Amino acid sequence: MIGLLIVPFIGVSGYLIRLLAMIFFWIGKTGCWNIISGYTGYIDFGAVGYYGIGSYVTAMLMSKGHVPFLVSIFISGAVSGLVALPIGLPTLRLKGAYFGIATLAFAEAMKQIILEFDKTVGVNLFEGPHGITLPIGPKNEFFYYIGLGVMVAVIGITYWIRRSKFGYALRAIHEAEHAAELSGVDTLRAKIKAYMISAFFLGLIGGVEAYWLTYITPHMVFDVLITIQMVVMSLLGGMGTVFGPVVGASFLTIIYELLHRDFPYTYAIIVGFIVVVVVLLMPKGIVGTLQTKLVTQKTRLTQ
Amino acid sequence: MLLFLQSLLNGILLGGIYASYSAGFSLIFGVMGVINIFHGEMVMLGAFLTYWIFTLFHIDPFLTIPFSIVSLFIFGYLVQRFVINRVVEAPPMISYILTFGIHLIIAYTALWVWTADFRTVTTSYSGFNANIGGIIVPYARLATFGLALFVVVGLYILLYKSEVGRAIQATAQDKEVARLMGVNINRIYAITFGVGAAITGIAGSLISTYFIVYPQMGLPYTIIAFCVVVLGGMGYIPGALWGGLILGVVQSLTATYLNAGLSGAFTFILLFIMLIVRPAGIVGKGIVE
Amino acid sequence: MAILEGRNLTKYYGALAAVNSVDFSVEKGEILGMIGPNGAGKSTLFNVIMGVYKPDKGEVVFKGKKISGLRPHKICRMGIAKTSQIVQPFTRMTVLENVLVGGLHGKNLSFINATLEAEEILEFFGLGGLKGMASGSITVPDRRRLELARAIATGAEIILLDENMAGLNPTEIEEVLKLLREIRNQGKTLIVVEHIMRVVMGISDRIIVLNYGEKIAEGTPSEVANNEKVIETYLGEKVCFV
Repeated sequence: MIGLLIVPFIGVSGYLIRLLAMIFFWIGKTGCWNIISGYTGYIDFGAVGYYGIGSYVTAMLMSKGHVPFLVSIFISGAVSGLVALPIGLPTLRLKGAYFGIATLAFAEAMKQIILEFDKTVGVNLFEGPHGITLPIGPKNEFFYYIGLGVMVAVIGITYWIRRSKFGYALRAIHEAEHAAELSGVDTLRAKIKAYMISAFFLGLIGGVEAYWLTYITPHMVFDVLITIQMVVMSLLGGMGTVFGPVVGASFLTIIYELLHRDFPYTYAIIVGFIVVVVVLLMPKGIVGTLQTKLVTQKTRLTQ
Repeated sequence: MLLFLQSLLNGILLGGIYASYSAGFSLIFGVMGVINIFHGEMVMLGAFLTYWIFTLFHIDPFLTIPFSIVSLFIFGYLVQRFVINRVVEAPPMISYILTFGIHLIIAYTALWVWTADFRTVTTSYSGFNANIGGIIVPYARLATFGLALFVVVGLYILLYKSEVGRAIQATAQDKEVARLMGVNINRIYAITFGVGAAITGIAGSLISTYFIVYPQMGLPYTIIAFCVVVLGGMGYIPGALWGGLILGVVQSLTATYLNAGLSGAFTFILLFIMLIVRPAGIVGKGIVE
Repeated sequence: MAILEGRNLTKYYGALAAVNSVDFSVEKGEILGMIGPNGAGKSTLFNVIMGVYKPDKGEVVFKGKKISGLRPHKICRMGIAKTSQIVQPFTRMTVLENVLVGGLHGKNLSFINATLEAEEILEFFGLGGLKGMASGSITVPDRRRLELARAIATGAEIILLDENMAGLNPTEIEEVLKLLREIRNQGKTLIVVEHIMRVVMGISDRIIVLNYGEKIAEGTPSEVANNEKVIETYLGEKVCFV
């Protein structure tokens, strides 16, 4: 950890700093997804919706309202978190796959709405397909530290949740929701809470990345591929584990970096293959499988 | 008034197409509980197949349909047999994720191999219309609509009047009993997937005649299939017809009276609302987990 | 005053009344047995009490307060717990963690207290040695006991047992009956649904009999056993009076 703090000062290449920052942000995003989907088992396919909302809130606040960055991103988080409430309440009552479809529909609807809103209503708010340009931001080192902070926050919260009463509620919901409800767990409240926490941080991250990218369009920030990467990184690393997102995100981001310039489509194809392989052969992900092996060993030793 | 009728008609013609390729999606879910996210890719493959055969060999698109049927049946059968069959017993969410992975593989490989260029299939008769009292009815679209309906009806006949169809239904209703009665479940699953793929392929071929063909076209179609099937009832084949027509009309009217982009938003919003309010479909005969 | 009462409870499945105008009452510290052929509405009645279903007519009253229409977790926190016919452990959580959830959320204890109580409860049920094992990997009889332990951990005053002893052999049944009597002696109230007549007759203070959603008889075990309507209902059914 300390090492990560001093990295930008030891004369490492700008490229590495940018790569690490990217990894931090992916860990953050995946961690958010893990909080709702990894813990409760409700697979959210609309996560990018909150990321996109956050991006746009910050973009508009900073470019049109001249609101400072740090304030904007927290407003982004708050807006996303609040939107999650009316979306989550009806959808979290749906079973498994229907929740996935509904959330996917939500994210895609958000994209279309932002694309068409200005034209339909006759205003100049979201700029539709033209996108919004933000004020130029500081150098990569700045985002490196923001990313580090966000990553630590998200993983920290994931860790804290796991050991808390709330975490037990979420895991119980995952294993046997009905039994959890009968045992006194307020399942709806727990699910909504996890969903809103996830949405808040996704919105915040969306805001930060909007500033980093400097230019955003609906197609960029509501891209379903972003959600899918969160899913895969979590799956690969181990859904519901604390460090799964770290492993999965690091791994996949590095592959992305290696591939995307020369073989842009290959990355997506590989992501697809990873999904298939993990689902069929290693559903617990890397960290999950290791944990199970450790537990089995421990049990063997104590017997 | 004329505008309304034209829009309505366009919607109906569109709806028929939607119904034809959503039927396969509904079938696959109804029989094996698999939510197939690469469904749209099968439309895309059918469309590309027709495009290439038309462009390279100058065979009329409607005549390429048999190729679509055969190739996509084989494709669907093999994918099911060797990949998807491993997760049919698992919760639908697992197949959702798995098929999403397959979607990525197919869509991006297609993008890689065929590039992102938009392509069209334009025949000599593409522009000919019938004019009924001021309402324009393109012949090609009419033929496509007719064929689409034929596909849905054909599927229905297959399911209810053939030996294989009855086996498929038995498997869908109670696979343990079907197994006891001598049905080879794995083979039926593979056949069902193949059939679903084949009719989706036909739809893809038909679609190539008046929509743009490009590798990324899959996902929007998959989402439309979701919407159609949720409207009509998951797993309930005739529902695909209702769902398709309703969606087609809603989209057409939104495009005419509001704007084209918004019709996409409406589809998703409609899907979202349906899932929350009436997941069993309008007629209420869908399978709800 | 009765600790739990059902007044004119009715629940429809479509046009069919799964539970039809059922009245019942249970005194504190009682063991009430509920019997009836399959499909008589016993599980449905339990689900209505537990808040899983809202009754179409009638109400459930717990300690003088109306609870029908409340959500299950609220009813659990107020003091009623239920075991399910098909056992539902939190499979990947340990045996201890399963019971812990009950204490944390049903009884709103702190972690320390919930853990201490959970360990005591597990000892009581003879599951102490399994506390670190994944609950998905223990035997079925142990899982049933775990289900009961979890219900106790919620601090419930009334426990609804929905065929908790199905599939157990006579020795195992005896052990569970001993535990149930002990639980009652600690002041809890039990409503027991079982198909094994010996069990129900043996442990219940009173029994109610359901058929086709209606209550057809009520009374002490011997009264019920000699009730003509009850005998008629069970004619042709496989019944173990042993």
